[in-house]
Amino acid sequence: MSAAPPVAPPARTPPVSVVLKDIVQEYPADSGGVTRVIDRVALTFDKPGINMLLGPSGCGKSTMLHMLGGVRPMGVTTPTSGSVLIDGVECHGAHDDAVMVFQRYANRPDLSVFDNVAFPFRLKLWKSRVPAGEWRQRVADMLKAVGLADKAGLRPAQLSGGQNQRVALARALVLRPKILLMDEPFGALDAQTREEMQRLLIDLYQSWPCLVVFVTHDVTEALMLGDRVIVLSTQPARVADDFTVSETRPRSAAWQRSPEAQALEERILNQLHASPGKGQVRVTL
Amino acid sequence: MTEFWNPYVAPGARQRRLLGVGAVLALLLLWSAVAGSGLVSPTKLPAPWHVISAFGYLAWNDGQSMLLTATLWSVGRLLVAGLLVIVVGIPIGIVMGAAPQVNAALSPLVDPFRSAPVVALLPILVMWMGIGEAMKIAFLFIGAVVYLIPMVRDAIQAVPQSYWIGARDLGATPWECIRSAVVPMAMPRIADAVIVAFSVMWTYITVAEYVNAREGLGQLIQNARRFSAWDQVFAGIMVIIALALATYQSMLWLKRRLYPWETEQ
Repeated sequence: MSAAPPVAPPARTPPVSVVLKDIVQEYPADSGGVTRVIDRVALTFDKPGINMLLGPSGCGKSTMLHMLGGVRPMGVTTPTSGSVLIDGVECHGAHDDAVMVFQRYANRPDLSVFDNVAFPFRLKLWKSRVPAGEWRQRVADMLKAVGLADKAGLRPAQLSGGQNQRVALARALVLRPKILLMDEPFGALDAQTREEMQRLLIDLYQSWPCLVVFVTHDVTEALMLGDRVIVLSTQPARVADDFTVSETRPRSAAWQRSPEAQALEERILNQLHASPGKGQVRVTL
Repeated sequence: MTEFWNPYVAPGARQRRLLGVGAVLALLLLWSAVAGSGLVSPTKLPAPWHVISAFGYLAWNDGQSMLLTATLWSVGRLLVAGLLVIVVGIPIGIVMGAAPQVNAALSPLVDPFRSAPVVALLPILVMWMGIGEAMKIAFLFIGAVVYLIPMVRDAIQAVPQSYWIGARDLGATPWECIRSAVVPMAMPRIADAVIVAFSVMWTYITVAEYVNAREGLGQLIQNARRFSAWDQVFAGIMVIIALALATYQSMLWLKRRLYPWETEQ
């Protein structure tokens, strides 16, 4: 990362491999026993691409994403058994290959848009890696890329929900991560804004094609964005289906109505209906 | 009438001011009427005009201002105690808020004092620290810090976990998370705690200056009481109320200037 040229980012991301090896996750249940939320999931991501983790709400997909990012919101050891390997090294805690974008975008209300995007560079880790002159330029370029260049001095409360999510996305990508983890990032946005953000993500991905793992419970979103769609069953999550979508992005509304897309949608819904338990998925038009 | 009564519709700024000023005037009028009617002896209830003249006497007499000297002493004690409350109380509150284990250990020691009669500690403080300045400062400090610490702790705990996780994910050390993500978010509520601490200290100032004070507003009131100068007692109390109100309002103004984003949410 330190070898990157100061201004123009390389359009090629460093190679990365992420392996989930027989992941099992259990949480202590209220009844005293344990609840298994993830059941022997094995997945390999070995090239840049947008990978959609699609599953019903509450199926354990966010837990899986937290595992990849090495963050532990519950204070429980993750995973219970199995391992996460990043470039062959077992991941035990927060690491700097992956950056997360959350649904609750966690922008600091006291900082300007610019300072929110520049936040990581206040931390020792990034301060030591990226010289001040360079990160300022990077932040400015990133704001331009997400269309907020003219909003740099505003505070998050002065922005819309979609614009706030742009800030969060900019803060993640300004670090030029190998892995971008997105936890239902557009789930709280209205339909029109969500579509805008999906288009933005596609644009950003084209200029920085990293390994994206994108959690969603929206079947349409999975089909419109994913190079690969991994369907997870209801809790405990197992891999119910795993396929690639070869249609080039951005995918048109016409493609969405095509027999191919309709067949994929049906295939996903059938898989989900086949798995017992509760949990919801969404299909948007 | 019932059409105008809706608990959820706040009156306009002008109406609110009118009602507030009206109530104060009504009380003054009632006070004047009771005192002027001669129903209550002036030794029990001095008339407003007597209080005003007592205020004038205290403010300037014989080439000096007893009121100013007393006020400066009281404000000085309040500032020293307030500084101690901030320097000691805020870090303890932050640590308690950020470390659940520390909170579990310390909260049984701190929380009960909020409902404890702090005034009852005065004799003990006198026994330990004598009757000098240290005792007065310590009393004000204890009285205020037991309110501040739990408020600071709650302010820290009220910061959503997403800020902690977000910062950790970006590579922040736990210490960096506290310092540059959690504490800045808690600052408006920490400022509220400081404002409450100062309000509490104003209510305790007369008690702190009850024992062997040669200077201060509490002593001024105490002294006037001894000579049954009730007009001066009333004037002294009003000065304390006015100072407390001025402190509160100016600190609130400062807080809004420092953290304008708090109300934007």
